[in-house]
Amino acid sequence: MLDFVSRISVVCFAASYAVALACEASRLLFRSGVRGAVMVGFAAAGLVAHTAFLLWRAASEGAVPLSSPFDWYLLAAWVLAAGSLALTLATPRTPIGLFMLPVVLALIGAATLSSREPFPQTPATQVWGMIHGSLNLAASLAVAAGAIAAVMWLFQAGRLARKQAPKRGFRMPSLERLFETTRHAMTVAAWTAAAGFTSGIILNAVNKQRGLLETVPWTDPVVLRMGMLVSWLIVAAVIARVVKQRPGGARTIVWLSLVSFAVLTGSILWGLFGDTRHGVPPVSPPAINEVAA
Amino acid sequence: MTLAFVGGTHRTVPLPLREQLAFSAEQAAEALARFRDRFPGREGVLLSTCNRVELYAAGESDSAPPPREQLVLFLAECRGIDAGLLAPVLSGESDEAVVRHLFSVAAGLDSMVLGEPQIVAQVKQAWAIAQESRTTGPLTSEMFQAALRTAKRVATETALGRERLSIPSIAVTDFVSGVFERLDDKKVLLIGAGKMARETLRYLREAGARDVTIVNRTIERAQSLAAELRARPTTFDRLVTELAATDLVVSTTGATEPVITADFYRPVEEARGGRPLVILDLAIPRDFDPAIGDRPDVWLYSIDDLGRTCEANRKSREKQMPAAVVIIEEETRRFMGDLHHRWSGPVIEQLRAGWSETGDTELKRLFRRLPDLGEAARAEIRQSFQRYAAKMLHLPLTSLRAESHAGPPHGLLDALKRLFDLKE
Repeated sequence: MLDFVSRISVVCFAASYAVALACEASRLLFRSGVRGAVMVGFAAAGLVAHTAFLLWRAASEGAVPLSSPFDWYLLAAWVLAAGSLALTLATPRTPIGLFMLPVVLALIGAATLSSREPFPQTPATQVWGMIHGSLNLAASLAVAAGAIAAVMWLFQAGRLARKQAPKRGFRMPSLERLFETTRHAMTVAAWTAAAGFTSGIILNAVNKQRGLLETVPWTDPVVLRMGMLVSWLIVAAVIARVVKQRPGGARTIVWLSLVSFAVLTGSILWGLFGDTRHGVPPVSPPAINEVAA
Repeated sequence: MTLAFVGGTHRTVPLPLREQLAFSAEQAAEALARFRDRFPGREGVLLSTCNRVELYAAGESDSAPPPREQLVLFLAECRGIDAGLLAPVLSGESDEAVVRHLFSVAAGLDSMVLGEPQIVAQVKQAWAIAQESRTTGPLTSEMFQAALRTAKRVATETALGRERLSIPSIAVTDFVSGVFERLDDKKVLLIGAGKMARETLRYLREAGARDVTIVNRTIERAQSLAAELRARPTTFDRLVTELAATDLVVSTTGATEPVITADFYRPVEEARGGRPLVILDLAIPRDFDPAIGDRPDVWLYSIDDLGRTCEANRKSREKQMPAAVVIIEEETRRFMGDLHHRWSGPVIEQLRAGWSETGDTELKRLFRRLPDLGEAARAEIRQSFQRYAAKMLHLPLTSLRAESHAGPPHGLLDALKRLFDLKE
């Protein structure tokens, strides 16, 4: 059993999600009585393999979730994949996977391009590190959820504006629900991103004060891109609050959410290919007595 | 002949005559009681809907169903109509054609609105009335159960009845629910209360709408309509305020010019504060200036917009017809095969009894000759005899069943009777 689990690779669950996505996309082309079961089967198989992979990494390499950029992206993908499967089971006629699974696959792709080196940690910084990672994860997921709802809103609004009946077996949620999801996601994203950035500053300050690990300078690309993302999310949340009760406010908020997702994507790409001191092990390891302190 | 029916639909019977011919539930029960007295030993079911009146009759051998002329005369007498008027417009069928017809009717293929689902409930009700009137029997029982099964197959295996065909249902299900998640917290405004608005309101109420306001030229008229439709009355002079507060408008005035122009709507838009507004403009000519539909947060649907969806759905239903016909043919063949196979029942029973009797006699003789056999060995031998008899009978019975699908297996039954000396 353990041997079987150890042979699960990223390709295994990525391929399962890709097949589930293809099944969802085929809704646009033809009707099928078994497609729903096949789609759920592949999505569930992917999720099981994904879970086993994360657990195996935690058990065999001590790579607990969020301990490296690789694990961080995979955990984000896992949360979205689980959400996609749960929503598909709850509302089978809504093609939710068509909108969520591409983001899941993109996050898995980002994971394969990112470092598997664990973030350097000491007992003193572990808690702040977890808080920082979790809040950034929550912010990113909120931005992604808002953008997914925003794309669905545009899809549904386009159908209603063209005065077309919904395709059979392809019923989208109402504009009202999609708009509320987008708006709430934007607010959550702004708060959690701001809290995540603040926790990063605190983490850096703890490192600096105790001289435990190498500190990240304010001019580091990761700090700059995160600062930019947080600033944008706060501005977007404020704009959303202002325009909410104006004519065309819903559409403006939907586009703000999509711009937030674009900024997040840009930030991730910058992180993948940019040079940074963020999460990099110290040049010289701290002395044993310092770590113990 | 085992099965027969006479009947007429909207296609064959003119409306005035159809109205005279229609049976209420009580009248149907009375007619069936009369049928029982008039045709003792026969089974009968009377199906009467807005668009059709059909009498199904069944019976076997000595109790064969009455011929078409007698059934027409019976219907005419029940409703006090000259039989001479009915005879040319009522059609009649017998045996397999009756089954095929009933299956098509139950599946909605013969309905005015193709695939309409209400007919299933009407068939069930007709069957229930016949049961209460004690005019059902094994033939009609099996035929009506098979009809309901066929209707279910057509509904689940094809999309015949899935798309909606009425403008109000399309408006509410495909468009209003696309904008709003729920209607119990939304305000509905009716401008005018035409037939279409009332029908739309019925669907909106089913979807949860509670807060309904009706606006009319005069408060007296608004009040009387409001009382009838369980709504709040108001007058036209408050239209801007009401439009600013509402979420959904259903408009069906008889005005010859647009009631709400783009200029009229401008202050409404400012007062609404970006809340979405769905407008179902079901009036001809239109009550809302089409330019209002281009404003942000407005979802305006005219009767033409909804009619296009209606037409597309109707075409989509028609495309499902061949698949539904295939199911009906399959079920008709299966039913007729089973019906024909029923006639083989007595012969099969005699065959089985004959083999069993011969086997028992042989076993007794064998056990007398071998008195030392233990109980276990005897049981084993008994089972072997039974298996042997079953295997020997399997082929003739399979041939009988196969023959039944093509029609009553008279030839094979006669051969079996002669070969095995079976009695009638």
